[in-house]
Amino acid sequence: MNDSQSLETATTSIQAPSGVPDPKTRRYDRQLRLWAASGQAALESARILVIPATATATSILKNLVLPGLGHFTLMDDGAVTGADAGNNFFLDGFFSIGKSRAEEAVKGLLEMNDGVEGVADVRDIQEVLKSDKGWLKTFDVVIAHNVDSNVLNDLAALLWPETHLVVVNSAGFLAEFSIHYREHQVIESHSETSASLRIDQAFPALLEYAMSLPLDTMDITDHAHIPYPVILVRALEEWRREREQVTSPSSSTGSPRTTVEKKVFKERIRAMMRKFDEENFEEAEAQAFKCWTPTIIPIEVKELFALYSSSTSLPPSASTFPALISALANFVQNNPASPRYPSGLLPLTLSLPDMKSSTEEYVKLQKMYRAQSEKEKQVFKDYLSREQVDADDVTIDAFLKNSHALKVLKGNEWKDVDPGSKELLLDKLSTHPKETATHLALAAARRLGAKDVLSSFKSSSGPNDATMAENLDKNKLKDLLTAEAMTFLPPGTELPETEWRIVSGEIARAPSADLPTTAAFLGGLVAQEVIKMITKQYIPISAGNAASSANDQLGICVVDLVETWTGIL
Amino acid sequence: MVNVQGNQDWEGRYYHIDQILDAPGPRTDEGFMAGDDVKDFLRNQAKILVIGAGGLGCEILANLALTGFKDIHVIDMDTIDISNLNRQFLFRQKDVGKSKAIVAAEFIMKTRARSQGDAVSIGLAFLLQIISSGEFLRYFGKIQDKDDDYYLQFNLVICGLDSVEARRWINATLVNLVDSENPESLKPLIDGGTEGFKGQARVILPTITSCYECSLDMLNKPTAFPICTIANTPRLPEHCIEWASVLEWPRVHGDKKMDTDNPDDISWLYAVAASRANEFNIEGVTWSLTQGVVKNIIPAIASTNAIIAASCCNEAFKIATSSAAYLNNYFMLIGVEGVYSYTFEHEKKGNCPVCGGESVSLSISREMVLEELIELLTERQDIQIKNPSLSTPTKQLYLRAPLQLEEATRPNLLKKMSELIPDGGEVTVTAGTLPFSLSLDISFT
Amino acid sequence: MIKIWSMKKNEEAAGKKKPKTSAAQIRVQKDLTELDLPSTMKTYFHDPADLLNFTLTITPDEGMYKGGAFNFSFAINSNYPHDPPKVKCTQTIYHPNVDLEGNVCLNILREDWKPVLNLNAVMVGLQYLFLEPNTDDPLNKEAAQEMSKNRDEFVMHVKSSMRGANIKGVQYTSVISQ
Repeated sequence: MNDSQSLETATTSIQAPSGVPDPKTRRYDRQLRLWAASGQAALESARILVIPATATATSILKNLVLPGLGHFTLMDDGAVTGADAGNNFFLDGFFSIGKSRAEEAVKGLLEMNDGVEGVADVRDIQEVLKSDKGWLKTFDVVIAHNVDSNVLNDLAALLWPETHLVVVNSAGFLAEFSIHYREHQVIESHSETSASLRIDQAFPALLEYAMSLPLDTMDITDHAHIPYPVILVRALEEWRREREQVTSPSSSTGSPRTTVEKKVFKERIRAMMRKFDEENFEEAEAQAFKCWTPTIIPIEVKELFALYSSSTSLPPSASTFPALISALANFVQNNPASPRYPSGLLPLTLSLPDMKSSTEEYVKLQKMYRAQSEKEKQVFKDYLSREQVDADDVTIDAFLKNSHALKVLKGNEWKDVDPGSKELLLDKLSTHPKETATHLALAAARRLGAKDVLSSFKSSSGPNDATMAENLDKNKLKDLLTAEAMTFLPPGTELPETEWRIVSGEIARAPSADLPTTAAFLGGLVAQEVIKMITKQYIPISAGNAASSANDQLGICVVDLVETWTGIL
Repeated sequence: MVNVQGNQDWEGRYYHIDQILDAPGPRTDEGFMAGDDVKDFLRNQAKILVIGAGGLGCEILANLALTGFKDIHVIDMDTIDISNLNRQFLFRQKDVGKSKAIVAAEFIMKTRARSQGDAVSIGLAFLLQIISSGEFLRYFGKIQDKDDDYYLQFNLVICGLDSVEARRWINATLVNLVDSENPESLKPLIDGGTEGFKGQARVILPTITSCYECSLDMLNKPTAFPICTIANTPRLPEHCIEWASVLEWPRVHGDKKMDTDNPDDISWLYAVAASRANEFNIEGVTWSLTQGVVKNIIPAIASTNAIIAASCCNEAFKIATSSAAYLNNYFMLIGVEGVYSYTFEHEKKGNCPVCGGESVSLSISREMVLEELIELLTERQDIQIKNPSLSTPTKQLYLRAPLQLEEATRPNLLKKMSELIPDGGEVTVTAGTLPFSLSLDISFT
Repeated sequence: MIKIWSMKKNEEAAGKKKPKTSAAQIRVQKDLTELDLPSTMKTYFHDPADLLNFTLTITPDEGMYKGGAFNFSFAINSNYPHDPPKVKCTQTIYHPNVDLEGNVCLNILREDWKPVLNLNAVMVGLQYLFLEPNTDDPLNKEAAQEMSKNRDEFVMHVKSSMRGANIKGVQYTSVISQ
């Protein structure tokens, strides 16, 4: 439902008068149904740098070029080898051998979508890090695949925090990636939880309408078409008034609490039926839990109020998000749904689900909700105007519509060996041994790569059975991996034996293999997360909620394609 | 039909893949033949069938080609639409309207030799056969009399389909293909599917693991609205659109079939739906929503397809080479919130209509009449059926009820079994006492 | 290739050979031969060899539709029971839940269909419509309104429509059972 509604807003603006969408809209139809015109516009204005032109790197780019990324630069100073021509679909096979890897790959990638700008950069990234720092910072996202630790250190330090860095590592059937950002705000989270209908705190017009219906005397057909929110509001109000007479006045805002009270309440709804099979009352009975599910402000949203009121340390950003949150906090503090209720609520949104009802009654209810939400939106806008930011109506509407599902994620800065996360890794080693061992093995391999150790363990091709020398090499490589892995952990840590034997064995088997299927799998996963970052829709991987003080996530996604699983650390 | 042979393996071509094929890893089966044997099987012998050349199919074909499979067959009955271009990366604007199978296969073959101009004459890396739309349709239409030999020639089948019906069909076909006398008859089926940010990949070993039919109840049903709501109490824009397509179209156009691929038909529905929405004060009917509802459009993006197709091909590679353990047996991905996935063993369903029923071999006299066979079934201790109904794949033998069908099949009771079925023929038995059905494998003495 | 066959040999179920009959067809055979219908419902097969297309006749023995014989066509496709059977009334009848084109509003035929349901459930559901027409969610709105506002006139119209009368410009099918 959410998807089709956002599409609706997305497509009305670009529709030709006849209704038939233009060719571009038709081309992107299947993705516009997910991220709408706003997401598409964000994607089309994004600039991405990818280093270097490996099979994995071009697979990631493929999934960004197809949906219509704005610009990409592919940086690689190397020439195509026979091995590259064999595992990279975007090279021209045998005929690319010897030519620039970046140029050949860009050619292959651009063929797929002429709406995308793509540039091959044949410079060495180490040179660029010295000579063209400013240029590197013009990108929104930089993606690095199997880039060694030294280069990553420099790159990470330069880009943090304005440009997001995506670090991708893979060897054979194993892979991992992480996205490095300070904070990521999501308005359109596409949450599956819907906003409250406020049955327990009905706004005055709804309450008045519910109480005005002559339930016993109205037309029997009309009676069978009263929408269930109206029935629930009526039943709850009557229940409250009865309780008020026998108990304390405070019960005027109470709801059935005990199992017995809830059961009796449902029977009350049943007793309101005038015929045995009125489906709207059956629906009301089934939805009765809405009477005792209090309309509250989700804890995550509450935490955001605190986060943005206290965080004067945040750099001033072009984003209107903090202002919107501040206005929302003001709204919540100062606007109870009606004088009867003590606490404030999030602004009402117009998201009425379908229900058993006549068209007239449904549209009437929809109008009541709309009028109230318009009213509350005006109040919100008054608060927002004090924040002295310019936010257009589209943004405000999207913000209010999603105010119950706002998300602010935190990330971390990339560090090769992070002393601060040693204890956390130790912890993860006991709670997630497979995932953590995989991460450690890949990180260790990356460090060996930086030390130029890995390249001496080239896998030879040919003989049926591995030679003695090869076996020795493999065992030596496993030992080196173990030694490197220990540098990520507190001294004296023991690696989980079985898991470590498996992951180090996997790396030793294929230390420099960029397998086409692993590349394609990663290509999909990484592109998907990058699209979420760029569009600021849906929820990318993270190290947790920004407002939460817990630091129990590394924000790394790990992949094992032997047993075929993914995991998050 | 395009049929190109050739082989052109340049030096270092399989540098990456060979790291896996030259030596076993920690999770490799003992039967793995590292080195030349496995490479020879993968590159010169393995024959793989890809069903579907759409969102998943394009990715599958590219991955298989890079992995080293050289005998790849592809079936697809569809033609290319502009809305495919956001993810089906073997197709270009100029290909709109052409056969997906043909364009995809040609692309895969030529991509390895683009700069030579004449792809065929230089000899290609891949042998591909293309079965174009008509043929698939023919196979598809007549399930009962299709030829098993076609499927027997493959080692593996990968499915990237969006249709439940086609999947049920290929699944049943491969389960039925399994012949206890012939080990080669067991064809692993790898099935992938995506929807927006979600997807799944699974490995089906027919008759050994759970099959597609076993998990049919896991499927999400497409939204359907009560017809009375559509007719009289529309509340959502979708209700107005269904009114136009379900009720108004047949009323106005009679037997003329709606073509949801024809923009004119969508425009007609949109206009009708919009005016109804206007009449009922309902907002939100758009051309795109109209198209989405009547075509039951499922959002589809390149990235999800890439993940699922990669997983399918990775399993195909591991199964074909025994180079590493493979998925057992279901991988589910949900990418809406972070990267969430779940790998589990989907269990075989005992009463699955395709792979769950019992099968019994019976050797009977040619002279035995159907009535006697039924008696035999009810009396046999190991079967113990009450009131069975029997049929063959092509006709009913004896149906217990309703009366009209009983009367129509009653004359068969006195016929000799050899008149009713061929030697080695199959009889399907249903009865209230059976969980689903029993299959009889009948031979004559 | 992995040695699947050796795995198969270890399976208890080794050596099963499956029927070529499609799952849909076996299900229909099972559904039909295990129907448990009252005497007020009968199936008729135009071609007894084709189990996927047939007619159901309902002759209610009580209620206001008593005395009529109502025909419904059933069309089952090869995706059954994933897809529900397509059911239409082949006569023009005056009924709150059946429109003049023969469309039927019965939840289990559309929004509430599940593969665990069977033909028996659909048939029983159809018969119920003649015993207890539902006026809250009608398909023929006029009929429903009349039924709830002016029951006597509604019953009269039902009776005359069943005899094949022309009411307000609509020619109804004579459905009086012989």
